[in-house]
Amino acid sequence: MPDSAIKIESLEKSFPPARSGWRAFLQPFEKPTAVALAGVSFEVRRGEAVALLGINGAGKSTLLRILATLLLPSSGTACVAGHDAVREPRAVRRELGYHAGSDLGFYARLTGRENLRFFGRLNHLSDHTLRQRINLLGHQFRLGEALDRQVRTLSSGTVQRLSLARALLHQPSVLLLDEPTRSLDALAAADFRRFLKTEILQGLGTSLLFASHTLPEVDFLADRVAVIDAGRLIACASPAALKLKCGAATLEEAFLRLTGRKASFNDKGGDA
Amino acid sequence: MSRVLRELWLFFWRDLCIARTYRSPFILEAVEALFGAAMFYYVARFVDSPQLQRSLPQGGTYFSYALVGFVFFDYLNAALDSFDRSLEEARDAGTLEPLLVTQSSLPVILAGSAIYPFVATTLRIAVYLGWGAALFGFPLRAANWFSVLAVLLATLLAFSGLGILSASYLLLFKRGNPAKWFLIGVSSVVGGMLFPVSILPDWLQLVARLNPVTYALEAMRGALLAGAGFAELWRSLAALLLCAAVLLPCSMAVFSWALRRTKITGTLTHR
Repeated sequence: MPDSAIKIESLEKSFPPARSGWRAFLQPFEKPTAVALAGVSFEVRRGEAVALLGINGAGKSTLLRILATLLLPSSGTACVAGHDAVREPRAVRRELGYHAGSDLGFYARLTGRENLRFFGRLNHLSDHTLRQRINLLGHQFRLGEALDRQVRTLSSGTVQRLSLARALLHQPSVLLLDEPTRSLDALAAADFRRFLKTEILQGLGTSLLFASHTLPEVDFLADRVAVIDAGRLIACASPAALKLKCGAATLEEAFLRLTGRKASFNDKGGDA
Repeated sequence: MSRVLRELWLFFWRDLCIARTYRSPFILEAVEALFGAAMFYYVARFVDSPQLQRSLPQGGTYFSYALVGFVFFDYLNAALDSFDRSLEEARDAGTLEPLLVTQSSLPVILAGSAIYPFVATTLRIAVYLGWGAALFGFPLRAANWFSVLAVLLATLLAFSGLGILSASYLLLFKRGNPAKWFLIGVSSVVGGMLFPVSILPDWLQLVARLNPVTYALEAMRGALLAGAGFAELWRSLAALLLCAAVLLPCSMAVFSWALRRTKITGTLTHR
């Protein structure tokens, strides 16, 4: 495996403008003009955890979706474990676990276990390995009896934990998480962060790229923070280095100074 | 190969598990099939005459002719509908993205998702024909089952291409199934569903000859009602297989292109 778990070079992505009415028929063929990523370059080293920080629409999810082979970049390259996301999408998918941050994505009338078994087998896990992994992850994510209940009967937080378990099922070398604790309660979120840090990052040496608006989470998990604003990477350094560079006491302050924005609603919360 | 078969089975297992959670539809569909078969039986009794029977290509009663036409259209419907319906369901339930980040390939995901609807349709047809045979004298004993199987397979292959084209359309434009609308619409008039194409005006008969549904129905009636073997059916089977040989690779290419477009435009999961 190369030194870089993820390597992104001059990555650009534009989308065609949104259309409605009869013009929607032309949208799939229109020239992309709305810029989502404008020449982003950085890398995630093996075993490293990098957070993507930016306001809504900054391009974080677009970047993660390109790496997950769900979007094609307009130009530039995105590699996962040495495999190009455009030319070798299958090899890329073998290496990564992807969690889109939503509590959708399961067959509502199947149980949690049946869902995990289905997706695990599509990732070519044997029955024996699957049983072990499902039991282990079920324990670690405190899924308990939820594993044997239909997904439609589970709370959104439980479904999100199930989704995280699915992303980790095939022991990927690279994890892509898009707002992983969005639907979790404070206790579950704290548990999850601890589990991610000790078991996945430190225990297995998995590399992590995650988008988050929860700054304490970023501070706790990330070795480095990539700040993205309007599709551009404006900084990439450790949380401590970012604070030092901006002369800020907190990551929130550093983020606001870097992006030249002001906190709205006068809130002192942890969201960026 | 065995890995592909395992994955195809996995999709069938998934859909079977989901279907198992809805129990009443199986019973309701069996009852619906009884009413459907009865309706054709009494319509046939009303319109049947020695003259009408003589004009039917494979002989027999109008009831058996119409019942085969009707149930076969169910199959055609499944071939045209299964791919885009499974895609639509995956998109709406949010399972499309998790599926696309697995190791499974897109053709396997598509084919796998279509297996259960095809099997369910086959069972439904069996129930229709079973009611027809048990209560209304449908001549099941005349059937050549190897030919029936061959015609079903050729029909599936021929029309799956159109189903995959519909799925491509859905990917790009999010709603609608023009292939189904066109083929079902045209074929209900010029496909020989409820009446032989020989009663149509000459120019419509020409259209019917260009329609693969006509060949599929002729072959199915020949196999089911007249016990025809491969020697009698080869022309129809060849027409269907030719249709499949052209449409399947074309439709897969179009689907790959459509998927690529949606990955460029970022509309893969849009509704």
